Amino acid sequence: MAASRVRLVTLITVIVIASGACNRDVPAPPPKTSESPEAAPPTKRVVGPLSEADAAALATMNDGLKRYVDLHKDLEKGLPKLPDEATPEQIDKNQRALEQRIREARKSAKQGELFTPEARPVIRRLLAAVFDGPEGRQLMASILDENPVGMKVGVNMRYPDTVPISTVPPEVLQTLPKLSEDMEYRFIGRHLILLDAHAHLIADYIENALPE
Amino acid sequence: MHPARVLVLAGLSVTFMTATACKGVDFSVGRSATASEAAQPAAQAVALPNKEGSFKFAVLGDFGTGDDSQYELARTMADVHGRFKYQTVVLVGDNLYGSERPQDFRKKFETPYKPLLDSGVKFYASLGNHDAREQRYYKLFNMDGRLYYTFNPNPDVRFFALESTYPEPEQIRWFENELKASTSDWKIAFFHHPLYSSGGRHGSDIRLRNVLEPLLVKYNVSLVLQGHDHFYERIKPQKDIAYFVVGSGGKLRSGNIESDSGLTAAGFDRDLAFMAAEIDGDQMYFNTISRNGQTVDSGVLTRRKVQQEP
Repeated sequence: MAASRVRLVTLITVIVIASGACNRDVPAPPPKTSESPEAAPPTKRVVGPLSEADAAALATMNDGLKRYVDLHKDLEKGLPKLPDEATPEQIDKNQRALEQRIREARKSAKQGELFTPEARPVIRRLLAAVFDGPEGRQLMASILDENPVGMKVGVNMRYPDTVPISTVPPEVLQTLPKLSEDMEYRFIGRHLILLDAHAHLIADYIENALPE
Repeated sequence: MHPARVLVLAGLSVTFMTATACKGVDFSVGRSATASEAAQPAAQAVALPNKEGSFKFAVLGDFGTGDDSQYELARTMADVHGRFKYQTVVLVGDNLYGSERPQDFRKKFETPYKPLLDSGVKFYASLGNHDAREQRYYKLFNMDGRLYYTFNPNPDVRFFALESTYPEPEQIRWFENELKASTSDWKIAFFHHPLYSSGGRHGSDIRLRNVLEPLLVKYNVSLVLQGHDHFYERIKPQKDIAYFVVGSGGKLRSGNIESDSGLTAAGFDRDLAFMAAEIDGDQMYFNTISRNGQTVDSGVLTRRKVQQEP
């Protein structure tokens, strides 16, 4: 009798805790842009074609990115050309000179100049859709592997020399807008950064772009 | 110190010959390895034929620490080169750990491998997650400014180096086109992140596998060389393709091979090691050699000869 009372109390406790958890203010996952076609080849967007509104929002990044790449190229032109077979000294000097020039030229740059306010929510939603699948956990693990969570990032910050670069899985690259050479998407912890790979500079970022 | 551990499991499709079957170089020092957890007895070390005119190369990964142990393995590589004149070393990434100032290139690469570099051995790099993109311009890595590239050091052999941290569609398209265009008997891909690995720390990169494996199968790639997990592992052939993890060049992760992965044909995670290989016709002989010069795995594999679709 006593045992069955204990079981009843335990059951009620579990129900109360569970219902409390269910009532917690958990935001609904953002809607997917559209479903992935089952047999989508790797070159197709894994979240399917973009809606017109999303495409327009992402297109707001184009002007800023073009300006950035033009600036990068202009400043690079002013440097001695790095030969394809360079010494470590040439590589180091060239990289740090470009880093310095870009930082100088963009000293007033702010977050959101490349990842525009219009594009940011779309990118978050696209990423959420990518990670929302059954393999999302594994995908996340591959990004966060050797990737320090909680590190601060900022525009014009040098990519930390001691932090390995994150893997960016094919699904993510197939989903985000294509970048020109020398610009890369990377993650530092959960932050998505736009990395100028030659200058080792963070050109822009979206904090906590990776869903929890 | 742990004894060398080699897992040799059943179900290999690679062919093992005995060392006495050919008059070649056997790097085994005394007992080559202690077999454990074996479903069948460890095979006797296979000698590299060391044949004139064959293509000889070495594989090294995850090595650029600048630590004593990296230097010790580098000395062993030089010793081996004294008897087995490989002219190519394929690097499967993580070429420089930590800072990459000019002095680091010297300490973590040029100094330890100086005897090989002085002998004219060429290193061909792929980049890992610890490598800055600028390494592609470094003349001693022979990447000619490219993140992914192909080269054929021998008319019968073509290598394809990929950049596995950033497998953008453009790179995948390039890879497919290059594979399609290649008429080499031996197509060998190398990159950092393993499509198959029993690493407890990292393991198989299934996302990357989904993208690359169909191309490897379709275009007759015989061999895939990978790193990232810090040990040596020979994977049981997957879809008729041989995979090796050779992330054992400088930063050992001792005991990290998960024995229940079902993938391991042979593994060694008790010391640093590199692989020496020789391609002679349709066969590739390989010896995996530890820091103290022991052959910890060896064998022969035969290239794939699948009829390529038009």
